[in-house]
Amino acid sequence: MDFRSVLPPPPRYPAAGTYNAGLGVNQVIPMIETNNVLTTPSGPEYQFLVGEGLYVLKEDLHLATPPPHPSEAPVVNPNPLATTPQPATAGTKLSLLALDVRPLPPAFYRVASRSGGVQQSIQEHPDEGKSSTTEGRGSSSDAGGAVRNVNSSDLPSHSPSAPAFGEGNALLAPPAIKDANKRRKPKNNMTKSNSSFISRVIVHETLGKKLQERPADGLFAFANINRAFQWIDLASTNKAEYLTKILFTKAHCLCHDVNRLTKSLSHIDVIMGFSTGEIIWWDPISQRYTRLNKNGIINGTPVSEIRWIPGSEHLFMAAHMDGSLVVYDKEKEDAIFAAEEDGAPSQQQPQPPQYSPTNGETNGANGVVNHSSHIQVTKSVHSKNQKTNPVAVWKLSNHRINAFAFSPDNRHLAVVSEDGSLRIIDYLKEQLLDLFYSYYGGLTCVCWSPDGKYVLTGGQDDLISIWCPSESALIARCQGHHSWVTSVAFDPWRCDDKNYRFGSVGEDCRICLWDFSVGMLHRPKAASVRQRASVSSRFTSLQRENTGTSRVRSDSNLSAGEADGDGVFPHAVSSRASTPILPPVLSKTVDADPLCWLEFTQDAIITSCKSGHVRTWNRPSDTSPQVEEEQKAES
Amino acid sequence: MAGFFQKIRVGSGSSKADSNASPKNKKDEPAPELTPLDKMLQNAGPLREDGSDKFFGLENFGNTCYCNSIVQALYYSEPFRENVVNYPLLTPSDTPNGKLRKVNVTIRPPAAPNGNAAAPAKGGKGITGSQALKARQALNGSHQLPPIGQAVRPEDRPDSPEYKKKQAMIKGPVLELAQENPDAYGMQECTFTGLKDIFTALIESNDRTGVLSPQRFLDIFKRDNEMFRNSMHQDAHEFYGLVLNDVIANVEANAKALQEKGEIGNKDGLVQSVEKALGASSPIMKGLNASGARTPGTGWVHDIFEGVLTSETKCLTCETASQRDETFLDLSIDLEEHSSVTSCLRKFSAEEMLCERNKFHCDHCGGLQEAEKRMKIKKLPKVLALHLKRFKYTEDYSRLQKLFHRVVYPYHLRMFNTTDDAEDPDRMYELYAVVVHIGGNAYHGHYVSVIKTKDRGWLLFDDEMVEPVDKHFVRNFFGDKPGMACAYVLFYQEVTFEKVREEMDAEGLEEVRLASQKADIALGAEPVNGTTNGPPTLSRLNTQPVSPVEDHDSLATLTHVKSAPGDISNGLTTTSPVQLSSPVKNHPVPATSPSATSVTIAADKASGIPPVPPLPDVPPTPISPSKAKEDKVRDKKELKAQEKARKAAEKEQAKIAEKEKAEKLAKAREANRAEHELLQKTIQESKQMAADDEKRRKKEAADEARDRSPVAFLSRGSKSMSRKSFAFLGKTDREKEKEKNKEAEREKERLARSDTAPPELLNGTGGGGSTTSHSPIRTMTTDRTETSSSSVPPKSDEDAHEGRTLKGRFSFGLKRKKSGKFLS
Repeated sequence: MDFRSVLPPPPRYPAAGTYNAGLGVNQVIPMIETNNVLTTPSGPEYQFLVGEGLYVLKEDLHLATPPPHPSEAPVVNPNPLATTPQPATAGTKLSLLALDVRPLPPAFYRVASRSGGVQQSIQEHPDEGKSSTTEGRGSSSDAGGAVRNVNSSDLPSHSPSAPAFGEGNALLAPPAIKDANKRRKPKNNMTKSNSSFISRVIVHETLGKKLQERPADGLFAFANINRAFQWIDLASTNKAEYLTKILFTKAHCLCHDVNRLTKSLSHIDVIMGFSTGEIIWWDPISQRYTRLNKNGIINGTPVSEIRWIPGSEHLFMAAHMDGSLVVYDKEKEDAIFAAEEDGAPSQQQPQPPQYSPTNGETNGANGVVNHSSHIQVTKSVHSKNQKTNPVAVWKLSNHRINAFAFSPDNRHLAVVSEDGSLRIIDYLKEQLLDLFYSYYGGLTCVCWSPDGKYVLTGGQDDLISIWCPSESALIARCQGHHSWVTSVAFDPWRCDDKNYRFGSVGEDCRICLWDFSVGMLHRPKAASVRQRASVSSRFTSLQRENTGTSRVRSDSNLSAGEADGDGVFPHAVSSRASTPILPPVLSKTVDADPLCWLEFTQDAIITSCKSGHVRTWNRPSDTSPQVEEEQKAES
Repeated sequence: MAGFFQKIRVGSGSSKADSNASPKNKKDEPAPELTPLDKMLQNAGPLREDGSDKFFGLENFGNTCYCNSIVQALYYSEPFRENVVNYPLLTPSDTPNGKLRKVNVTIRPPAAPNGNAAAPAKGGKGITGSQALKARQALNGSHQLPPIGQAVRPEDRPDSPEYKKKQAMIKGPVLELAQENPDAYGMQECTFTGLKDIFTALIESNDRTGVLSPQRFLDIFKRDNEMFRNSMHQDAHEFYGLVLNDVIANVEANAKALQEKGEIGNKDGLVQSVEKALGASSPIMKGLNASGARTPGTGWVHDIFEGVLTSETKCLTCETASQRDETFLDLSIDLEEHSSVTSCLRKFSAEEMLCERNKFHCDHCGGLQEAEKRMKIKKLPKVLALHLKRFKYTEDYSRLQKLFHRVVYPYHLRMFNTTDDAEDPDRMYELYAVVVHIGGNAYHGHYVSVIKTKDRGWLLFDDEMVEPVDKHFVRNFFGDKPGMACAYVLFYQEVTFEKVREEMDAEGLEEVRLASQKADIALGAEPVNGTTNGPPTLSRLNTQPVSPVEDHDSLATLTHVKSAPGDISNGLTTTSPVQLSSPVKNHPVPATSPSATSVTIAADKASGIPPVPPLPDVPPTPISPSKAKEDKVRDKKELKAQEKARKAAEKEQAKIAEKEKAEKLAKAREANRAEHELLQKTIQESKQMAADDEKRRKKEAADEARDRSPVAFLSRGSKSMSRKSFAFLGKTDREKEKEKNKEAEREKERLARSDTAPPELLNGTGGGGSTTSHSPIRTMTTDRTETSSSSVPPKSDEDAHEGRTLKGRFSFGLKRKKSGKFLS
């Protein structure tokens, strides 16, 4: 309690409402910042019926929405035409974390990275689930593919076919750690911090005790909502009580991620990205933190998405709003970043030619950067200058990156931007593989299918698009939302190698569930013409290609090698007439405010909305005994 | 007096001679500053022929914002503007001098301070006898300069729209289009000619910015449209529809008339023009005289705005499907809460059951039957106007209520609801104008428009004021933000995917700049050298405003100097002759001085492009031996100004240089050196902290141990948690209460004010949207009451009682004032 004396004075909150104030939102907007509220509303409007059964709302956890900090000028500008820029916000985003080892969802990507192709059908019949699950668990340690489910005690290990990011650069080799459970902690004490960046930290009084007493298989939730960050124990009897709550002074926390590789009872690595461009690495157990990109020294634009690089304990990737992807090392110091251009670095530090920044630089010198044919590597991960952050910097375009996702085989990256582009990037080789565009409007969210075959994007055209990177093709457009789509996710528990279930939420306050199977889709003539054998081979050949050819490839976009036209991207936007349209199996309004996130867990769908409601929708109960059986059989 | 203000405008406040000449005035009314628009246009190239780089505000004479917002949106529709300007095609005989006839534009002399502007204004104009105009002018003149020693009013606050509008009027030039322009284009004066006059005047103007008074256009429009013959708040969408229909009717009538004439004296150009107006491909051209009718889809107005809807009706009894085509100039779409325009459009085309009272008369079955109806788009227009039906009639209130649904609209759009045989069903549209309604219901409020202009990004047009805004600003009107501003009419225009890509690339750079600017705002400081370990102190906030000031200084000086070398096209010619003759001091003669070049460089610099810095010691080239002494003095001043500009620009550049690689590398090296030290320090720090942490943990553990049963502990823990967090807010609560009370008081006050609005406010409303000072109004009230067209109620204390009886009308007249309230 002594630490409270050093905290800044209690904030004065303006009485004005927060989001959507006074516009018919049916809950009372808290006048002051309150505690979280847990309710369990019931009734027909709190359930929805799909083929497999009835989803019922289990609970609604309302995260307290922090009003602006008093030091922030009261932004209640009465002039609706005021042109003063407002800080970026990103609604409520969560990530879930289980500390225990859990069985993989049946359809999780496992073997493709080893064999170069999907080997077998997965769970044609529920009875098969048992064996495949066990197998999945066994392989998780070496595939590194089960990003979210890696055993906490696993050391970073990489499958032979998917090398670690930056492999080959000795400077990036992780320092040897003797004891896996003894990890390096961030350097500053959060609770004692007198940084003006952090306004207030409230740690639960009995945090240690709570952590010890909780069930091992319970889920933690981390949530960023405006300038607050909360750590919640979903297994606790009192979920509304946060374990820790951090209020930042001015910066809004826009995104965060938890490292699945390093998680343990004594250590959790959380990174947060802010509207100021800054990044915080935080260990909630020891309440220590480190600030990265301090004062935007490396990149001053807001961080719209941040993720740990799969299989890495140190490296994470942040998408800045100026269209660059920056790789940071959580333990490295910041340094002023200067683009490593062709000239200077090559003298100081000779690099293998294939890694020297390729066309991006040369073109950049001419003032013309063609972002549609390659990514501009302003600092390669193979750079010899790895003493400080950033580890790597890639400029994709000049447009705000809205989201990105790593493929389950840890080779590819799908990036979506405000200009409506979807980029498929081989992030290990730092090259652009493909570029697609939305029907119209920006793309807002992206995810990979559990087997890595498909990519989903949601956007401002109210559509979800299903892309197949290996065929360089748009598979279908999914029409069902009444407004912009904000988040998409696969339900790995209801996916197999032929049939996929995914869900989406949007600004229309709706959740949509979709069933998609490749065979089922009606394929118009025009679409099938587009996929030639040469195209499908291209992607795989790129995978096998060694990096030595990268320069040739990006140079020869228009040359004879790929003159068949398919190699040239961006691809033309497919017409409506030539693209299959997929209707949803369910579309239901599940909140009063625009939704911003959803995720599937083994026994529920969890959604969150702009005003901070986190709703847990239990899966149909008739399937749960089956799942339990499987689990029993396993143990 | 008039000349004085012109001088200030030209000199942009940098010329000392002028400001010294009138120190008294300078004190209470600083010379007009450069507006953001001016700054944007600093390095604009030569004027364009097509008028796409004219950014004029439109004067508001009481509730005419509906007109202004629509006219602006129409002006920036390129195909429409071109066609309006080029129709009717003039034959050589119509242009005797080989020149196009100029629109009869008067430039209203800027009003002089202290309210006695009426006289010079009248003398300067002397063409129209319109009393309303005179009255308005007196009003404008009077409130442009507040009497000395008065309290600060909302329009005096530099950030208020009222202030900006006032400044725009002061700055001018104010183009008057008030007099009749009969037989200008061989046409009767009509809505079309009124619009054409406005467009032509803007295109022909030698200024890029200013204010235009669309008085005559409105007069004509009101003449033809009875409903608008009052000074009430009107519906912008309705106005839009009527204007387009008028234009179509006018053009067609004219084309027909011309054709009849043309049959006698068959002139090629004329025929072409007529054909264009009527639709060349249509058979109408042949059978025109016989039928006198037109088919839909002809004429350039139709080409641009007209689409075709097909309503497919399927009788549920006999399964017969019937189709009917109808044309549309815009689509009125119903809104749903939390939806998108895309979705609303889809709903527009959703199947609809015709049943009960709404049954369908089936020709096949012969009788009223239940049927299914669907509206689809058969032909997509070039410019797609979407009217969001925000005003809904509610029986409860028996009046139109405004829907504040959140309806998102994307920058680009394709239509999902086309028929199978539609041409180019995947046509891409881009958003180019948003007409925004601000206000609580249909009877009050204010309209502004946000428009994407060619190469100049998005601009906000709020009556007299024009201001550049960033692209994200366009998204402020989904309907969920406080302030009751909602998009009301959306204008999309067709575009190609390639063009969109191109533009995106260009825009991206701008966005990057803005994003970092926002980050800076949130950060409270610009990113400085990052080796400093200290937190970003809040005090750094204070350093922020310094740079804009510098910026402004340099820019201000630059304009002055830049416009100096007799650059006629740059805004000196259009204004009054007084200005050209008298302020010689402002215009240095040198034509080939090095200043010109160095200045442009400096200007470049100021605009953010780091060029090669000019040599600091460029000697002033002697210009001519016959130079007068004053000239030399002036030159010196000039040089000083240049020097200042250069220095300012250099400062600017120094800032930019921070980002420059060279310096960065140097810093990086330095950082490397410091790194080691830092590392040591941090290690020590962290050790220290770890120790502290350990201590704290021990203490906590001890505390924990002191607690009794775990159950009691748990409950206690949670309680004390909340108590504690409230304790933090304890003071907050009290203060908040206070604030609340204040808020309530203010609210009360506001209500009181709006209920019994002082009549003078109303008059201000009627005039130019700003409050007015007393004396001049009284002189003009009589004029006002005499004018038939203006229904602005008489004012002043004596008339207060009459004013009250007119309260019903007041409530309408009030609306601009209301809007002004949240604008201020």
